Amino acid sequence: MSAARDAANHKENAPAQVEVCSVRVGQTLFGVPIAHILEIVGGARPQPVPLAPGFVGGLVHYRGDVLTTVSLRRLLGLTAKNGAQDILVLESAGGCFGLLVDSVGEVLTVSPADHEPTPATLDERRRALFAGAYKLKDTLLVMLDPERLDPRWLSAAQAGS
Amino acid sequence: MPCGLAVPEILARAGLAGAMDELTREFLIESQEGLDRMEHCLTELESHPEDTELLADIFRSVHTIKGTTGFLGYKRLEKLAHAGENLLGLLREGKLEATASIITGLLQLLDGLRSILKTIEAQDSEGDVDDAALIVRLEELQAADRARPGQSAQAPPAAPAESAGQNPLAAPAPENATPPAAPAAAIDSDTEKRPAATGSASESTLRVDVALLNRMMNLVGELVLTRNQVLQATAGDPGMTQLSRRLDMVTADLRESVMKARMQPVSNLFSKAPRLVRDLAQQLGRRVRLEVEGQDTELDKSLLEAIKDPLTHAVRNALDHGIEPPEARQAVGKNPEGTLKLRASHEGSHVIIEISDDGAGISVERVRRKAVERGLITAPRAARLGDRDLLQLIFVPGFSTAAAVTSISGRGVGMDVVRTNVEKIGGKVEIDSRIGSGTTLRLRIPLTLAIVPALLVRSLGQCFALPQGALTELVHVPPEQATSAIEWLEDAPLYRLRGRLLPLVFLDRLLMPGTENPRDAVRDSFIAVLDADGRRFGLVVDGLADPEEIVVKPLSAVLKDIGLYSGATVLGNGDLALILDPGAIAIRAGITLTDASDTGREEEEIAEASVVRAQEYLLVEAGGRSAAVPLDDVLRIEQIPLQRIEYFSQRPVLNFAGQLLPVEDAGGVLASAAAQQSADARVVVVVCRDGGRYVGIAVEHVLDVAAGGNLFHAGTGERASGVTLLKKRVTGVVDLRSVAALAAIEPTTDDRSDMVEAER
Repeated sequence: MSAARDAANHKENAPAQVEVCSVRVGQTLFGVPIAHILEIVGGARPQPVPLAPGFVGGLVHYRGDVLTTVSLRRLLGLTAKNGAQDILVLESAGGCFGLLVDSVGEVLTVSPADHEPTPATLDERRRALFAGAYKLKDTLLVMLDPERLDPRWLSAAQAGS
Repeated sequence: MPCGLAVPEILARAGLAGAMDELTREFLIESQEGLDRMEHCLTELESHPEDTELLADIFRSVHTIKGTTGFLGYKRLEKLAHAGENLLGLLREGKLEATASIITGLLQLLDGLRSILKTIEAQDSEGDVDDAALIVRLEELQAADRARPGQSAQAPPAAPAESAGQNPLAAPAPENATPPAAPAAAIDSDTEKRPAATGSASESTLRVDVALLNRMMNLVGELVLTRNQVLQATAGDPGMTQLSRRLDMVTADLRESVMKARMQPVSNLFSKAPRLVRDLAQQLGRRVRLEVEGQDTELDKSLLEAIKDPLTHAVRNALDHGIEPPEARQAVGKNPEGTLKLRASHEGSHVIIEISDDGAGISVERVRRKAVERGLITAPRAARLGDRDLLQLIFVPGFSTAAAVTSISGRGVGMDVVRTNVEKIGGKVEIDSRIGSGTTLRLRIPLTLAIVPALLVRSLGQCFALPQGALTELVHVPPEQATSAIEWLEDAPLYRLRGRLLPLVFLDRLLMPGTENPRDAVRDSFIAVLDADGRRFGLVVDGLADPEEIVVKPLSAVLKDIGLYSGATVLGNGDLALILDPGAIAIRAGITLTDASDTGREEEEIAEASVVRAQEYLLVEAGGRSAAVPLDDVLRIEQIPLQRIEYFSQRPVLNFAGQLLPVEDAGGVLASAAAQQSADARVVVVVCRDGGRYVGIAVEHVLDVAAGGNLFHAGTGERASGVTLLKKRVTGVVDLRSVAALAAIEPTTDDRSDMVEAER
């Protein structure tokens, strides 16, 4: 009986199902909560910024402003891709920035019941970027924490390490 | 233009007694900002009590409040600010140390000022609370160590007091020295205050939030880019030609309209001058006529805001220091009534604002004396400076020629505020003064803040924008000259520009440290000669594109931290270009000012010319010792194969550009190079000139070019010859007259060919 009540409580307290936008980088499927996404820009060609920190993917023109992008590939230590890429325009506490990904997939609805914390075996730098993973039917969806992807946070983290 | 004088009349008639005039409202907003800044600085000051920048900033905030209050007639505020300013003045001059109790006192001053401002905002009067306790406290603090640390003054009264009930608007125009806050006699566009009856002017205009205009400007920028892309995409489609052409026209029109919407006539600014001049004239006992010209000249709104302060300071200075009292004017046969002229005009992409008076002018001698007295410049240097350079000294922080400290000006903040503010928006200040006939201050303001003329350069396969302001000239180096035109002192590339060596910075190497050594590269390149705050250098780029007016977009903090870019811009074709910051590049590349020990930048600039000519040395190493060759004597630096050195009656000579050049080898450089016995041994020869004679000095390395200082014999004050202080180290100077190789040559009259003939 108490187990049933726990379950009920759980249902009440736990956030309802989460909508995430799935993106692909390399072999991995990542998810970004759609609440943080302002816009998806396809086929952008970021302008490189010499001497910028490694994670910076370049600049893109976005709505009259110049947007700094973070390359997820570079963050994960993969080789950067040339040519057009998709960009998620994200909003964080520090303002807007772009996230460069290989391709943007569909919007998925995931349930908190399928959520697992980030495995402790992952190296620390990556673990900081991830907010756990959702078990999908045939694959894993690694959640990204938009706040942690903010260039300001990243450069602070870089300076700290 | 509606007549400005009508406004107070209408207000008085309509009985809008409580309405606060525009001037007061602006004063409140500005003062609040000033106090916010002051608070921030004070807290910083606690951890860096030595920081003079902070003190100057705090001082300026209080000074500005005091200055404005003076003519608005808020006596209580003025008194309090004056007391604070006296204390801050001592701190700024270093006569007092910013101890904790002083900072506490200053914070109390801050609270006191805030509470008065609050009262003014709420009741349109200062209230009648007595600040005596706080003022006494501030005066006590001035007495340095005697201030009792334990005693903290009573907290300044919160001043919820009843308003004195004075009705400033009902009062007739006062003739006394400090009029109460009457509405500005100025034209203002404040339509809400104006009854509808004023007529069509208020109906055909409306107020728009500047933020909205900024947003419109951004959107138009985006539209322009989209248009460009549409035009490119539809270029081949005859059906679309008509439509895209129309889109093109409409976009251009729209852009112009939005830009125009941000422009305001300078009359908005000048309209504040009459009252300012009148009140100041009354306080100072001057008779002044104000002439205004070019009121219709338009300027971007934000720029207009930015030059408001400098203009007020300039007017204040002109009245206080420029125009003499009527009696003094009469005594020298001038019209007892002085003239102050405000003039605005266009000049290219700038607007020029001139503030000229027909007053006493600035005494160059007094400036010289004062500058030395205040320790801004050393006496010998002051003696060397020309009149024009001396005049520039009045812009140095802490300079003031006023004999007495008055409540109007005379603390020497005025002019440095003027320059700081104008330079912040990319403008320039010039001053011209003639003893007896007056002073003209010229503010050169760019038309808009957001759009700057820039040269687009190419490097690393991408475009960068270089602001035209720092650009002095462009030099093209064709590939066949690439190796000969650019000379190398070890790893430092140099270009000989009209006889003077210009240090070069390769943009690609700077931005991407791993790129190929440009020394061996044979390619087309361009040198942009830049002058960034007195740091002169050439930036080598791969290509140039057309100059373009670019719209500056801010960069995110992460990219700003790189320190080389001041922003980014979107080019006509939709590409982005980073805007290079010439000053930062110079610093990053190690381009130094000629005399880095100087404190004021002004001084450096002034001093630069003389130092460069007289005291620059080429630092060389020969035979394990370093020596300095006066740069003026150096003609060329050549790296030559050892085989080219020939021997003529056992003296090494070099066939140099068709002439025989004796080579001095005191350091045994040639011998040690020969000892290596390698076929491609090279030696560095510094070619020098001593009057009509030439000599080569064989050296191992050329180390650097540096400014040297004089060294004096202890006790005698006599200059030590043959040595110099170079990079803080004593270095021997090569005296060409005593070079052995030269002694072998018969001193020829002056002709080079004679010398060569003789050698032959």
